[in-house]
Amino acid sequence: MGLIQKLPAVVDPLPGGRHLVDAVDTIVNWARANSLWPLTFGTSCCAIEMMASSMPRYDISRFGSEVFRATPRQADLIILAGTIVDKMVEVLKTLYEQLPGPKYVIAMGSCTISGGPFIYDNYSVVKGADRIIPVDVYIPGCPPRPEALFHGLLLLQEKIKKESLRRPWVDTTLHTAPFVNPFTRAALEWETQEKEREPAAAEARAKFAAENPDFKPFKAERVLPPPMPDLPRPAGKGAGLPHGELFDLVRAAFPSVVLHKNEGADRASVDALPSDAPLDFVVPPGEYLAFARFLRDEPRLALDLFFDLTAVDWEQPPAPNGATTPLAHRFHLVVQLLSTVHGHLVFFRVPLAENEVPDDSRKTAVLAEVPSLVPLWPGANFKEREAYDMFGIRFSGHPDLRRLLNPETFEGFPLRKDFTHPAMVKRPY
Amino acid sequence: MELVPATDQALPPGFLTARSGRATEEYFINMGPQHPSTHGVLRLVLRLDGETVVEVVPHLGYIHRGIEKQAEAQTYLQYLHLTDRMDYLSSHHNNHAVCLAIEKAMGIGVPERGEYIRIIVDELQRIQSHLVFFACFGADLGALTCILQGFKAREYITDLFDAVCGSRLTMNFFRPGGSVRDVPEDFTDRVRAVCGKVDAMLAEFDRLLTGNLITKERARGIGVLPRAEAIALGCTGPVLRGSGVDFDLRKKAPYGYYDRFEFSVPLGEAGDSWDRYLIRMEEMRQSLRILEQACRSFPGGPYRSKEKPAYRLPTGTWFGAVETPRGVFSTWIVAEKGEKPWRIHSRSPSLANLAALNPMCVGHKIADLITILATIDPVIPDMDR
Repeated sequence: MGLIQKLPAVVDPLPGGRHLVDAVDTIVNWARANSLWPLTFGTSCCAIEMMASSMPRYDISRFGSEVFRATPRQADLIILAGTIVDKMVEVLKTLYEQLPGPKYVIAMGSCTISGGPFIYDNYSVVKGADRIIPVDVYIPGCPPRPEALFHGLLLLQEKIKKESLRRPWVDTTLHTAPFVNPFTRAALEWETQEKEREPAAAEARAKFAAENPDFKPFKAERVLPPPMPDLPRPAGKGAGLPHGELFDLVRAAFPSVVLHKNEGADRASVDALPSDAPLDFVVPPGEYLAFARFLRDEPRLALDLFFDLTAVDWEQPPAPNGATTPLAHRFHLVVQLLSTVHGHLVFFRVPLAENEVPDDSRKTAVLAEVPSLVPLWPGANFKEREAYDMFGIRFSGHPDLRRLLNPETFEGFPLRKDFTHPAMVKRPY
Repeated sequence: MELVPATDQALPPGFLTARSGRATEEYFINMGPQHPSTHGVLRLVLRLDGETVVEVVPHLGYIHRGIEKQAEAQTYLQYLHLTDRMDYLSSHHNNHAVCLAIEKAMGIGVPERGEYIRIIVDELQRIQSHLVFFACFGADLGALTCILQGFKAREYITDLFDAVCGSRLTMNFFRPGGSVRDVPEDFTDRVRAVCGKVDAMLAEFDRLLTGNLITKERARGIGVLPRAEAIALGCTGPVLRGSGVDFDLRKKAPYGYYDRFEFSVPLGEAGDSWDRYLIRMEEMRQSLRILEQACRSFPGGPYRSKEKPAYRLPTGTWFGAVETPRGVFSTWIVAEKGEKPWRIHSRSPSLANLAALNPMCVGHKIADLITILATIDPVIPDMDR
């Protein structure tokens, strides 16, 4: 390859040498363009369409790209199939740098073009993969169909076929490459062209109006959908124990436990509750563990399966004059349990007060603490880590309390209401 | 390269098992996030003794898109289309769960035809998802014919979705009160034709993989998940049923018209990879049964109830759960005043099932870890949300 790359400098000055370089160009580009080996890199939905495009129905091997490689060292094309998030950035950079040159990137789908559906109010999605690595071809779609992927692949092949040994493929390092915003440039060019065309267009419009005085622009008839009936929802079908029995069992053992937003409920009013909405108990923080153990071990309830654990932040936005309302409880920790025997669900929540912390570190400090449920249900492990990651609630006794989804270096707790992040673009409407 | 015995190092984060005190050197391998066998961007750190797995620690978040935070700034209908992108192999089911929660909150009914459309589309999607499982399971065993054949069968259903919803993958078809549009006139005929084709393919798959001695050897007795452990870990779906627990939301807490249809819930006995594989193959047949019944009695009439100009949920908490191909997916909405939710939480079946990975893999070879992970059938964006 070294010799070939020196070819233009040596041969071009010779008489007829240009034709030799052109011929070598054609051969090299033909070979490169028709044997693009993609990396098996798929982060989310688009990956399924990428897989589908390499399967019998669509058969990407018609375009010479069927050799999906699992290691970047054997590939020369990354098809960015799926959203790129902050935690993935370093991995993607490493992968790109491990690719031997010449290397190409196809951004498949709106997420990798601009952030797609995740562009607004989102703290973790990278708003366009071209902020991280250079992209050759963009394929819009969510997800693009396999035909669109092939169109992108053919465009890339066209681009490769225009390369020449006279302008060798340069491995521009990421940090020195100048940032060019092709969209802004294209928009500016478009605007100037429009201005140049404007006088001629105005003239044509006037001429057309003079020649066709009766012309009315076509207006499409609006097709309205057929009217649909306004149906009430039939009474829900409950599963497992009736609400009244559940309520009695729980209240007999824990009189201090009440229903959420329905503190004065008695048996009769509980029986009247819709049967397809699970009961939602409020447990005092002191009785949290005992209550959880009771629900698990009570044979008549048989709440054996740890269904879910999550939290709610009740921080209210400050009033227009900047005043904040103090809260008796900042968080509700919600535990959802399921009975595999009967099929009923029971929710219970524990209100958590906010720890005293200095105001300046309030956004990044752990604000509440609660005993861990991992000794009762090992399935609580990931869920509690998620609640810690998202809300900054510490679970004492958890064997491995680390962030689950966000990077270790992440500051703040995203699902708190006062969370702000520089990457969160507000929706303009 | 000099190997440093693990006994002389601090353990990397997440590893909790005490050292065995054996003379052999333990070592650590990083698998993922870019790895063809982790079904996406799951990162596993393996602690190995020779070729035997001592402990597996999953690292998540490589596709964490902050959907729950984003949902707080969007209306309910805007949130609906984000759920497609969580578990993209069962996007209809995700939509269904959100719609159920909204319908409960606002008292919206669904006409009979709408319920039938939902069941048919849901069951088609279940088959489609299990076909992807079959394809990936085969590929992870090294049987690459399976991935080609599985995707070939999947395309029949994808074509049908294309005709019904105008999209191949992220359909966004259901709305509170029914579906966004009616199905084509020849819908039941097309469903029947697809069912026939899929049925024939399933028979072929049985000859190809189920009866294959290598598959049996690679899956029997591998990745055993005892019944009690499966329940305590919060597993649902085929992973739970593989361990012999008779829990299917369609039977235990039927939503929609599922109580009108005859189908059985296949259960495993040993709780190993083989059982989980067989259950998914059988579930496809049961889904075909449901589809056959639904096509026979497919009613006419309106396909949805009246559309609301805006969906403002009454203050309170609202819950909807459906049985997806991977387990129970639920949406839990905390509604305050206005068109936007105060908080939306989705229960991801894949995340709960992933907790079973470490207990299932301990003591098996590293090659078996790949097949065990395949029988969990994880969808990573669903875990990370």
